[in-house]
Amino acid sequence: MAQKILIIEDDPDVVLSTRMPLESAGYEVHEAHTQDEGLAAVERVKPALIILDVMMDTHTAGFQLAQQLHGPTAKAEHRSIPIVMVTAVHQTTPLRFGPDEDYLPVEAFIDKPINPKRLLEEVARLLEQK
Amino acid sequence: MIDPAQSDLVSSRDERGLRPSLDELCQNARLLIRLRWVAGSGILLGTLIARWILDIHVQPIPLIIIGLAVLCYNSLLFFVCRVGENSLRRAWTVAWGQIILDWSAMTALVHFTGGITSPALIYFVIHAALSGTVLLPWHARSLSGLAILIVAALAFLERGGVLPHIRINDLGLDDGLYKNTTYIFAVLFFFGTTTITLSELVADKAQRLRQREKHIQQLFEARSTFMRVATHELRAPVVAGLSLMHNIEQGYVGELTPQQAGLVHRVTERLDGLRILIDDLLTLAASREASIANAPLEPVSVRAVLQKIIDQEKPNAERKQISLQAQLSDSAGIVMAGDIGLAIIFGNLLNNAIKYTLDGGQVMVDYRINRVKQSVEVKVVDTGIGIPADDLPQIFSEFFRARNAKALQINGSGIGLSTVRTLIDRYRGTIEIQSEEGKGSTLIVTLPLAPRQSESH
Repeated sequence: MAQKILIIEDDPDVVLSTRMPLESAGYEVHEAHTQDEGLAAVERVKPALIILDVMMDTHTAGFQLAQQLHGPTAKAEHRSIPIVMVTAVHQTTPLRFGPDEDYLPVEAFIDKPINPKRLLEEVARLLEQK
Repeated sequence: MIDPAQSDLVSSRDERGLRPSLDELCQNARLLIRLRWVAGSGILLGTLIARWILDIHVQPIPLIIIGLAVLCYNSLLFFVCRVGENSLRRAWTVAWGQIILDWSAMTALVHFTGGITSPALIYFVIHAALSGTVLLPWHARSLSGLAILIVAALAFLERGGVLPHIRINDLGLDDGLYKNTTYIFAVLFFFGTTTITLSELVADKAQRLRQREKHIQQLFEARSTFMRVATHELRAPVVAGLSLMHNIEQGYVGELTPQQAGLVHRVTERLDGLRILIDDLLTLAASREASIANAPLEPVSVRAVLQKIIDQEKPNAERKQISLQAQLSDSAGIVMAGDIGLAIIFGNLLNNAIKYTLDGGQVMVDYRINRVKQSVEVKVVDTGIGIPADDLPQIFSEFFRARNAKALQINGSGIGLSTVRTLIDRYRGTIEIQSEEGKGSTLIVTLPLAPRQSESH
């Protein structure tokens, strides 16, 4: 059975660019577009991995959702799902919109624009570790 | 520009005026402490000179006690300001504590130098004016009133014989002057009006300054919010487009003909150039904030920032099969800077080194402490395309790009190095560049070690 991946992202073009390589690699892809939709989709889909955008309906929706899923009060079943956070500001710019990423409870970061090759590598690495 | 008078940004002020910030209170306390060393020693020295050199008949013992008391409580205030955490509450306590102590000392000084006939009376005016700069206008007003009350009380208590009148013969004043009610009222009138007018004027100016400072701060905040939001809104469509293009380039929507692949590559490159420009503008905005005069400098470890940047840049180097080597001294290398500013400096240098080095080249980072010069030296060496000799003098200018970089169509905005230089100037460091076209470049950044960390590791 194909492993399920949930994309939580509000920009339809970024969703599409994330979906295409994942589907071609044989994953079953689901999507959600806001923080609340994302949380509901995690319950419903029970994904093997989550790809999470930082800014959606609010500027910190991604950070908040990461806290809800992996923070100290999160359910154990949620905590075991690896999260790849898609950051909006490229790596050499130290200016980010949210808290320092060292404190974020996520497993990996990838930058926008999405590089399909790197995305697949990161996803495969995390799913293997699981 | 928004007219300050009409802007609703500043109208949210307290009815009684803008309260001074913690910073302002602390600065004022420090200034008063410095002045008080002079005042206390002045009283001691003045007494000695007046009594034993000019042979004026003052009572030296009480005056010397007053001078010593001033120096004593000033030492106490000095330590209170140095030790422990600065809180607003504490700063206000110090501000009011200073006023109570100073005014007591001044009252004693006036009493022992002739009461209403004392030449030291003028000190009250200075103090009322000073309190106008530190406190709120109504505080200053109340204190001016209090000054008049104190002097009046002193005058009438001496006149009525409750307090002894201490007379200084040598001033040539009429012996009975302190008993003359007309004289007392005349002095009180002119003393009072001077004190009130001066403290009002000063308090008003202090209010205007505080208002302006608040307004400038709000403008800065508004501008940086605008820059962040605008750049993000600009960046979102560009990165979405690039993400789609990468999918096409990497064959997820089928094979492309060579001509299609060429066009897709061109579009991707143009979009990527736009992305870099937006990112650099964002960095520029951040560095402007970090380099403005009132952004506080704090101790930052150069090693820690450098390590973080090297880790971040590793994937970029790997993508181009560039060997990225680092020789980092174990010392933390604490300098007075900002962590965002330092990250911008080293991020730019390393990013440039990788960007302008062809595939398979080398980039080397060398970090060491120069104990003799008490400085931190960071050297970034690459085997890249280098900079033509006649372009070198302009390399730090805003939007300038070297000829060969443009010719090779390497994306860039020409903002990076000018940002780096602005920040290094702010941190009192230097940047030096050596380059030979076709062979590579070496950039050397020198930053002074923070004074306290100079001795330790």
